[in-house]
Amino acid sequence: MTRKLAILALMVCLISPLWAQSKPATVTIWGWRAQDVDVWKSVETALKGKGEQITIKYEVFPPTEYDSKLLVSLQGGVGPDLMYTRRLPGARTQALIDNGYITALDGLLNLSAFDPVSLSFIQANKKTWGVPFANQVVGIFYNKAIFDKFGLKEPQTWDEMVAIAETLSKNKVTPFFVAGKEAWTLAMQNAMIGVSYPGDAWIGKLAKGEAKFTDPEYVAMLKDLNALKKYFQKDFMANTTAEQDVSFAMEQVAMIFYGVWGNTNWLKTNPDLKFDFFPVPPKTKNVPAKIYTYMDGSYGLNSATKNKEAALKVLQFTASKAYGELFSKTTGEITAVKDVTMPASKPILVKCYDKMNTIASTNRYWVGSPFDAGMPSVYNILQEHMQSMYLDLITPEELAKKLQDGISTWFPAFKK
Amino acid sequence: MRKKAYLLMLLPALLLYSLFVAYPFFSSLGLSFYDWPGIGPKKFIGFGNYRNILTGFMAPEFFRAAWHNVIFFIWSLVLSVVPGLFFAFLLAAGIKGTKFLKVIYFFPNTLAIVIVGFLWGLLLNPQWGLVNQLFKAVGLGFLAKPWLGDTKLALPTIIVVTAWRGLGFYILVYLAAIIGIDREMTEAARIDGATEMQIAGRIILPHLMPIIATTSMLKFIWTFNIFDIVYAMEGTQGGPAGSTDVLGTLFYRIAFGGLGSSQVGMGLGATVVTLIFLIVFPVSVFYVFIIEKRVERGE
Repeated sequence: MTRKLAILALMVCLISPLWAQSKPATVTIWGWRAQDVDVWKSVETALKGKGEQITIKYEVFPPTEYDSKLLVSLQGGVGPDLMYTRRLPGARTQALIDNGYITALDGLLNLSAFDPVSLSFIQANKKTWGVPFANQVVGIFYNKAIFDKFGLKEPQTWDEMVAIAETLSKNKVTPFFVAGKEAWTLAMQNAMIGVSYPGDAWIGKLAKGEAKFTDPEYVAMLKDLNALKKYFQKDFMANTTAEQDVSFAMEQVAMIFYGVWGNTNWLKTNPDLKFDFFPVPPKTKNVPAKIYTYMDGSYGLNSATKNKEAALKVLQFTASKAYGELFSKTTGEITAVKDVTMPASKPILVKCYDKMNTIASTNRYWVGSPFDAGMPSVYNILQEHMQSMYLDLITPEELAKKLQDGISTWFPAFKK
Repeated sequence: MRKKAYLLMLLPALLLYSLFVAYPFFSSLGLSFYDWPGIGPKKFIGFGNYRNILTGFMAPEFFRAAWHNVIFFIWSLVLSVVPGLFFAFLLAAGIKGTKFLKVIYFFPNTLAIVIVGFLWGLLLNPQWGLVNQLFKAVGLGFLAKPWLGDTKLALPTIIVVTAWRGLGFYILVYLAAIIGIDREMTEAARIDGATEMQIAGRIILPHLMPIIATTSMLKFIWTFNIFDIVYAMEGTQGGPAGSTDVLGTLFYRIAFGGLGSSQVGMGLGATVVTLIFLIVFPVSVFYVFIIEKRVERGE
């Protein structure tokens, strides 16, 4: 009898791991980020390590074609199980929500690994429609060797920054490289300055309709920004971000207005590059310096998926600290998961992550803002007219008026 | 019976035409009366999109883009026809190395537009691009310019690049037409004492007029559908400050959003396409009419 029981116990021990394993399943994911291929391979390995028999099939589409391809496929009922979705507010993801193509994740997943700000970028109708994957930080990146050579320190005010530019200029160093040919970088530049000068609180008033783009503080910022162009490289309106990356990586320029995502490229070009980051300084010290951060996108669940159980397991993993660490280590970008230790080999990520958690602006008027939810958006207007201002085709006052007039055509708080 | 056989033979082409040309066209035409972001229910708004484009908030952008198409057409026509004829005359004269020159002239035509845009983007870089470096090297530094970053230079630069790429086509077409001219006429003129210039101006050129007219109309149609070279060299914004924006890039921005826009308007985009069609269609009809007439005359 004892022998029989022992055999039975042995059999149970042998078979039980098989019970614990899930049924094999393949989860398809569509996205626009080619740099995430290795991330999904690692996720698959991690899930298999936990006994989940899930194979992940990640398909990448060019960013410019992704949304059209996704829309057509979802309407035809042949979409993926999981899909990358753009942040809200935005017509593309809103259309997916309004037409029931993605499922709200509240109650299906534990999203406690994210802070409310990250989640707010993918929330609508009081529901959460995706798992955020990355946060971006934009500000000024500078070459430490050049700063050290001339005894320069991170500026605390706008005027200190101008003084640094003047010192560099006198010493035949190009203070700023600006990719003026790519209009979106100019819109981003304007927005990252706006959170410090005129500042977070002013943008908060703007969103409520209590301030206007034509207010003196915003016009003053535009004037100072326009005056700063004498410190940009010659003929900056004909340069691209690819040229900016090379110039910065090859230490031909001291500072750039850009996003943390650039760090991988710079280090690939020049592994010895020493660079750091500071938020755009405010005009005066009584306004706090802030940084512009935004959630880059999220993973949405197809409402019509036939692999819901497996897809949710993948999604739950992406909402964990383990995933956050894996994501940042693999891509060199900042995960949207909170309280993650950034890889020590990437000091710039450590710094930007810290800044993001301490001095991120709560209000904004570029991507991920209410000003980006209609046509023409602040983004649309800035793209064209920042170029016009830099080319002296319009004045800072005229740019401010174009913003105010354009947004007033649809923005509810401006219509009151 | 024979008639039925003809009709049957036409059927496959008709089916393909209906599927890939007629259906998308009428579908797009229908879409231009709706407000639709590309998914979900469409909202019928009548001529709302046309009002927005022609008299509303999109009007300045639309007319500016259309004007750029006109400028693009005029200058790219001049830069294609004049050098095209010149080089065709030279090649027809049978100068040494004609075959090699034909290959050289036609070579840019074989390059994909994206490659052309990328290459010229490098060549025209204001700081280290070959064009400005050459100017500086030969003491013409004042000619070194931010070719793609100046509102006055960007569109002409793209036009020149487009003409450079397409020149080989025009040379070959005009050369074929010159070769096709009855040699007896030119030889008789020579015997009568006509100079080469007189032969070119009074015999060859008049014979080339139909083909010049044809290529001009084709140029018009191509120019109003242009998108790729502007996209490759200046992006969807048609920068700087919209100075290279054409109807193709305007349509792309509206319909597909692109960088910097969370909004898409398929209906509004379809309206731009319909308006492009209304501009191009009469010229296309005229073109077909001219071709038919020439066929009738046996030219």
